[in-house]
Amino acid sequence: MERHAAMAEPIIDERVIEACCQGDREAFGLLFEAYKDRVFSIAVYSFGGDEAAATDVTQQVFLKLMTTIGQFRGDSAFTTWLYRLVVNACIDEQRKRRRFLPFGESVSMRRVEDRKPQERRFARLEVAGSVQAAIKELTPKLRMPILLKYVEGLSYEEIAAVMDCSKGTVASRLNRGHRALARKLSHLKDEVV
Amino acid sequence: MFSKHVAEDLSAYCHGELQPEESRAVAEHLIACNNCRVHFEEIKLGVKLAERLPQLSAPDSIWERLQSQLDAVNKDGPGLAGIRSSISNPKSEVRNPKFRSRFAAVAAGLLIVAGIGSIWFYSRESRPFWEVARIDGMPVIGTTRLAGKGRLAVGQWLETDNASRAKIDVGTIGEVDIDPNTRVRLVETRPTEHRLELERGRLSARIWAPPRLFFVDTPSAVVADLGCAYTLEVDNEGGGILHVTSGWVALQLRDRESMVPVGAACATRKGIGPGTPYFEDASFIFRSALTKLDFEPEDPSASKIQLLDQVLLEARPRDSLTLWHLLRRVEGKDRERVYDRLALLAPPPGGVTRDGILQLDKQMLERWQDNLEGTWSGASSLKRGWIKIWTHALGRIKGQQSKK
Repeated sequence: MERHAAMAEPIIDERVIEACCQGDREAFGLLFEAYKDRVFSIAVYSFGGDEAAATDVTQQVFLKLMTTIGQFRGDSAFTTWLYRLVVNACIDEQRKRRRFLPFGESVSMRRVEDRKPQERRFARLEVAGSVQAAIKELTPKLRMPILLKYVEGLSYEEIAAVMDCSKGTVASRLNRGHRALARKLSHLKDEVV
Repeated sequence: MFSKHVAEDLSAYCHGELQPEESRAVAEHLIACNNCRVHFEEIKLGVKLAERLPQLSAPDSIWERLQSQLDAVNKDGPGLAGIRSSISNPKSEVRNPKFRSRFAAVAAGLLIVAGIGSIWFYSRESRPFWEVARIDGMPVIGTTRLAGKGRLAVGQWLETDNASRAKIDVGTIGEVDIDPNTRVRLVETRPTEHRLELERGRLSARIWAPPRLFFVDTPSAVVADLGCAYTLEVDNEGGGILHVTSGWVALQLRDRESMVPVGAACATRKGIGPGTPYFEDASFIFRSALTKLDFEPEDPSASKIQLLDQVLLEARPRDSLTLWHLLRRVEGKDRERVYDRLALLAPPPGGVTRDGILQLDKQMLERWQDNLEGTWSGASSLKRGWIKIWTHALGRIKGQQSKK
């Protein structure tokens, strides 16, 4: 997890952010390249492997980033600001989708075999696929700290800043999230331990 | 008897988010509290599952669509408001091929440079590592000679010659001394698992973490820390010997496991796995008969029956450690003889029957083991060992903090 954070740090510094604020497209290209996979990953896991929805949300996030980056004043870390956009976009999109989902149907209930080929790519490993499905079943309050911790490699303090809550709340939600995953997927114990 | 339960702190503990004092309190509590240890195993499983989430690659089409939208804004010049409105209609595109191709070339160049920089940065700085300090001679990490302090990254080998020694800091959970003529590799270091491979030579480990977080792979067994200090030696044939100086250590190969308490030792052989643990103050006859029984049962110079006789005859009440392990490793009449001798030295508790033990009833074996453990290590000496290790560790952590 640290790997991804470390990869982005040398590229995205204050000058790049400042250039983005001035509307510099090349700087925006760098920013996009540094964070696109992380934003996309969070979106995919939020939508239970639905790539099309994740692609839309990733695009929305970067467009919003470009249009509002002028408001970024550096009071918090840039990544905190970015991940707030991601978390809010995922939650908004989920709300919208829930409104139009027929009663009793859930995206996560689809079997891996029923998915489109591009979705199947994410379930190649049984464990990864099962974890993904189990994460989709978590409530957003438990899911987001897990994704920010394991996909983005954020510290408790950084997660607290993104989620606008205390470190203690982050610890408590991660605890509940870990327990829920362990209980849902206890049959995979031998695969991961 | 117990301090406050720690179930709510376990994720923070696994992620290294607690202060050293808090972390120490959690580890100590886990040693003593079965209830919280069950919670800990659950949280650890949750952490390991979550760690299996891979980072995914965003499709290239996102960038193309973004560019189209930004191009549209650029051409029409509606300002930020225009971009905002275009979010709701990602299909509205007005292309500007000339600008796009020039921009794409510049962006591609920058991205290649950034990518190379990232790979260089990652490979050089970001691999997890442990700090290593030279004690004597000139230990080698990879191909680099260690003059003072260095880093052992995941995947790297540390090797000492006959005049070299080194000390490894195992993250914040312990330390390992590497003796001369030793070769070790850092296999993994994560909050839920720290793992070394000892190919040959000798190391001494002192670990102040909860059970089963620190492992050493050897050619003949995996050594799992159960809160302990120990010395482990591996010879050129891949066989080994473990001496435990504090707490407990487990040795495992496939379904064969030996639990070794303080004051006891256990040999291992390549292809066989761990032998039967024994206390080092047992008689010479007891120890040599046990070695032959474990690793040379087909030796024509002594029959298996004779060897087992010698072990049973020489066994003291404390050697119930060895006899309890032997119950699972012998069969038929031999198991009956082991049971009878063990029952004579340390009668089984209520509810544990001869028939049950001869059929290797898991619950009865565990109940008898619980009863015997006091004879093997003594809870008080275990705790004393732990407190000693922890006090030492805390002193070091505080020392490092004050230096900063």
